[in-house]
Amino acid sequence: MYARFGSGEGRSEGTGELLKKAASYGTGLGWLAFGALVATIIATVTRLAGPAYVRQGLDAVGIADRQALFRSVWWFVGALVLQYISQAISQYWVSGVGEKYLADLRVQAFRHLIDLDVDFFSRSKAGVLVSRLTSDIEALTQFVKEGAINVVTSVLTVIGVTIAMFLIDVSLALAVLALMPVLLAVSVVFRIYADRAYEQVREHIGRVLGAIQEGISGVRVVQAYTQEQRQRIEFGRVNERYFDANIAAAKAISAYFPAVDFLRTAGLALILVVGGQRVLDGDMTFGALVAFLLYLNWFFEPIVQISNLYNLLQAALAALSKLLGILDRQPAVPAPTSPIDLPTVAGRLSFESVRFAYDPTVPILKGIDLDIVAGERIAIVGETGSGKSTLAKLAVRFYDPSSGSIRLDDVELSSVSFEDLRRGVSLVPQEGFLFAGTLRDNIRYARPDATDDEIWLVCETLGIADWVRSLPEELDTEVRERGSRFSSGERQLVALGRALLAGPSVIVLDEATSNLDPETEAVVEAALATLLEGRTAIVIAHRLATAERADRVVVMDDGEIVEVGHHADLIVANGPYARLNAVWQAAGGASPPDGVR
Amino acid sequence: MIDPGTRRGIRLLFSLLVGYRREAILSTVSAFVWMVMVIVGPYLTKLVIDRAIDGNRRDLLFPLVGAVLAAGVIKALGVGGRRYFAFLLSYRAETDLRNRIFEHIQRLEFTYHDETPTGELMSRASSDLSQVRLVYAMLPITIANVAMFVVVVAVMLSIDVTLGAIVSLAVPLLLYIANTYARRVIEIATDVQQKLADNTAVIAEAIGGIRVVKSYGQEAQETAKVHLAAIGIYERSMELIKNRAIFIPLFELVAPLATAVILGMGGLRVIEGALTPGEFYQFAEYMVILNFPLRLTGWFFAEIPRASAAGGRVLELLKTAPEITDPKQPVDIPPGPGDIRFSDVYFQYPDGSPVLDGFDLHVPGGRSVAVVGATGSGKTTVAYLLARFYDVTGGKVLLDGVDVRSVRLGDLRNEVAVVFEETFLFSASIRDNIAFGNPDASDQQVRLAARLAQAHEFITETANGYDSMIGERGYSLSGGQRQRIALARAVLRDPRVLILDDATSSVDAVTEDEIRDALKTVMAGRTTIIIAHRPSTLLLADQVIFIEEGKVVASGTHMDLLERIPRYGAVLASSEVV
Repeated sequence: MYARFGSGEGRSEGTGELLKKAASYGTGLGWLAFGALVATIIATVTRLAGPAYVRQGLDAVGIADRQALFRSVWWFVGALVLQYISQAISQYWVSGVGEKYLADLRVQAFRHLIDLDVDFFSRSKAGVLVSRLTSDIEALTQFVKEGAINVVTSVLTVIGVTIAMFLIDVSLALAVLALMPVLLAVSVVFRIYADRAYEQVREHIGRVLGAIQEGISGVRVVQAYTQEQRQRIEFGRVNERYFDANIAAAKAISAYFPAVDFLRTAGLALILVVGGQRVLDGDMTFGALVAFLLYLNWFFEPIVQISNLYNLLQAALAALSKLLGILDRQPAVPAPTSPIDLPTVAGRLSFESVRFAYDPTVPILKGIDLDIVAGERIAIVGETGSGKSTLAKLAVRFYDPSSGSIRLDDVELSSVSFEDLRRGVSLVPQEGFLFAGTLRDNIRYARPDATDDEIWLVCETLGIADWVRSLPEELDTEVRERGSRFSSGERQLVALGRALLAGPSVIVLDEATSNLDPETEAVVEAALATLLEGRTAIVIAHRLATAERADRVVVMDDGEIVEVGHHADLIVANGPYARLNAVWQAAGGASPPDGVR
Repeated sequence: MIDPGTRRGIRLLFSLLVGYRREAILSTVSAFVWMVMVIVGPYLTKLVIDRAIDGNRRDLLFPLVGAVLAAGVIKALGVGGRRYFAFLLSYRAETDLRNRIFEHIQRLEFTYHDETPTGELMSRASSDLSQVRLVYAMLPITIANVAMFVVVVAVMLSIDVTLGAIVSLAVPLLLYIANTYARRVIEIATDVQQKLADNTAVIAEAIGGIRVVKSYGQEAQETAKVHLAAIGIYERSMELIKNRAIFIPLFELVAPLATAVILGMGGLRVIEGALTPGEFYQFAEYMVILNFPLRLTGWFFAEIPRASAAGGRVLELLKTAPEITDPKQPVDIPPGPGDIRFSDVYFQYPDGSPVLDGFDLHVPGGRSVAVVGATGSGKTTVAYLLARFYDVTGGKVLLDGVDVRSVRLGDLRNEVAVVFEETFLFSASIRDNIAFGNPDASDQQVRLAARLAQAHEFITETANGYDSMIGERGYSLSGGQRQRIALARAVLRDPRVLILDDATSSVDAVTEDEIRDALKTVMAGRTTIIIAHRPSTLLLADQVIFIEEGKVVASGTHMDLLERIPRYGAVLASSEVV
């Protein structure tokens, strides 16, 4: 399943099924779409009426009937007014319906994505997911905006012109239609060749952009090894291949359009020869011949248009298929169907024979039993890959265990509504992720309705109020703007403030590993202590001091708990924890002097 | 009317065009052939109508239609040539400019890259170039189109002055409307692009911060942000649509409206005998023919300001001269052990903030020195000055007795290898990454370097060994593994001096343990400068210097400094992570 997203391949559904699914995102747009179609039909018919009035007028000229001439002109002008109005409405409605559909799709697709489980996000590349919701929707936009209206108009025009030509003169119409197979054949050949050429173009532009990107981000290494010359030559090669691909496409275009242009002249010549003889023979009026010539302009253009739109349609279908790949996916961690109410959470968390595996053949957790009482502070230690992060994610129900049970205050985690669960249990990620926006928005992220008084109280409690006051615009400071970019310690503090304002009973904390300067370090430590006070805490520890301060240390190795106990007792026991401790000590070298920490 | 910036941009665009004279001329000539045939075509048709049909000369029918066909063939050839040579011109110019940009970016010094975001350089080489290309591609047809307007107006006036004058008024009017429309659309479309980018940022942020979103159950809040962005896009797009709904039907109205006018007025004159039926057709046909060129030309002139701005940005980048280049009369680096001397060195950033302030240091050949200092104290600057990634603003840096600024950059960097804090690996095989600095190195040499860097073992464990691809689409390596490949890359050059710029800071204690062993072997017999703050790494150096405020404030062994200098312990402790 995952491979599908990784490779970005589409699904093997039929076009019809794809379109049906896509249409289901545009509910309520049916009548608008119908109105748009009616307007388009009126616009096309009035446009096609033009040459008919020219014919009437010219025939009137032929018999020197001034009144009939003016009647035709006024009808013509009237039709043009109607044409303008209906075409404007049609343009506005068709595109408007499309835009509305896209706006709905953007929101619905995002809502669906964001409700998927964390597991899905950690296994997918963020860039791929973002492009599903942006560039793939843009590919649809292209078609909806430019494609849909042109397809409808072009098809209607071809049909209308064909009917009009047959109405004027059957044999002449047949003569012009004889060119149709040639035009179609030329268009198909061009399409096949151009598709291939454009695929090459797309592939090579990707390479060119990739090479530039790498050239820029790797520029320091390039200069350090004085490989500028070689880089230039290699880039020149990639760039030249892109040029070649473009020129191949250019050749196709440069051959196709003249061919179509010549076919149009051939059509003109046919009309002049066949029609001219019929006029001379007296089988056809002069006005009819000129009307025919005017229709000819509208006969070739739509077919070329449709051929061009085919490309847009293909791109749109490919994008749609990829998008539906996400929209069809159901969250692996579903909301409970009949949730058990848990208005207040005391904070007891118990794991019973919990097993977990992303891939059934590679178990990550192999039977975890752990009872954490309310208000207890647990430090989990272990090497990378021991399963400690997974345990933390299970505790906040980012994943469900493969077997066994996790209970919060004696209620199965999977039976608690997400609302109650998120209020009761929070994971505070290590990196201190900040959203674009103000400091205020970031602190009250979990509770957007919190008042400034509450936010300041949180800042006071955590001991960061002075720091906030020192910022240029206090709570209104934009966290991502140039110049006020927060340091990693400051980001952690904001994350802690966010957690405190959310006020969960259980906190799961993935400790930060990044370097802080001593002053900030001290502030973060103190803030953390305040936050954890009176709450159940599960801390994935990277620092010796954190393990030392915990009520119990849980040592994990290869998906199992190998030791549980207080730091001092475990040192005495001289087991796995004592060994790990020794490695830490060695890596740290001499202990820092007193008073530094 | 045209602002000076745009005028400058246009001049620059033209100056570049000189290099592609051949394609530009061929395309413009083809465009003129096409243009003449576009005008001749309706005239020939007129002859068919008037002479053969109206004049009842069946014998003239076939020869005249033959002439129509012949003109059609020439016109088709003109179209083909115009398109092909315009493509050739525009893509050639784009490709060459992109090569120049890339080459230039590679030559610009570190301080430039420190200050310039990657995205900005990317858009110089992609979207800005597309703008320039578009204008070049459109130039030949626009020249021919403008000529076409003049000729068609002249022809219409010559057929019938009154009718011609009325219809000719449509030309400037349409041109004005087309230009107004294009300017509006371009403005709104740019805005929509910006809004789309904002939307992408919101989505990327929600996905990047998904753990926070989920931790606090704020999916609805994020959806609301996307909703807001989607409405923003929708509203602006609807403005675009409104403009299109007003203007596009208007463009399509012009030709038939002119036809109606011609039908009414011209019809009367035909009855009066002042205008032939063929001439009537010719008039109507010209209006149809002019329609699209008028729109295109209006659009072209609306694009000019954007394209010249883009061209201006590209040329500004190309004009930025690299500041660190080979000296005019370079000297060779004499053979030596890699003796390093910083003598009264000053360095400040381009914005004037001082970094090194009378910095003195001597590292005898083969010795190793660790540099310790707080963030921003100038540790990395010391390393960068030696490899000449930066140039001193005062004093000098000597390698084996010669000023680093007096030798060729290639020679210098061959002897001074830097392992950066952030490991950069290219999307290429492991082998190519190690041999990056010496593409001609034998497999044996690559393996030896990998062994020295303690990387051989894990490399052979990957699926394809040394041929395993790394990078975004390839094998993903751990931080420690990447670091060791970078180390192998450095030692493959067998440099006199090795600089390890915080190369162990971003890995955990266990990984650092692995790297430390590798470091020990590669440091043997080489002058080494280590920038680090982990005690275990510092212990590898013969000597530690402690810098504060751009100067060496103390030196000695790690233990020695720990005892004597309280600030030293504090700076280390601040970055110590168990």
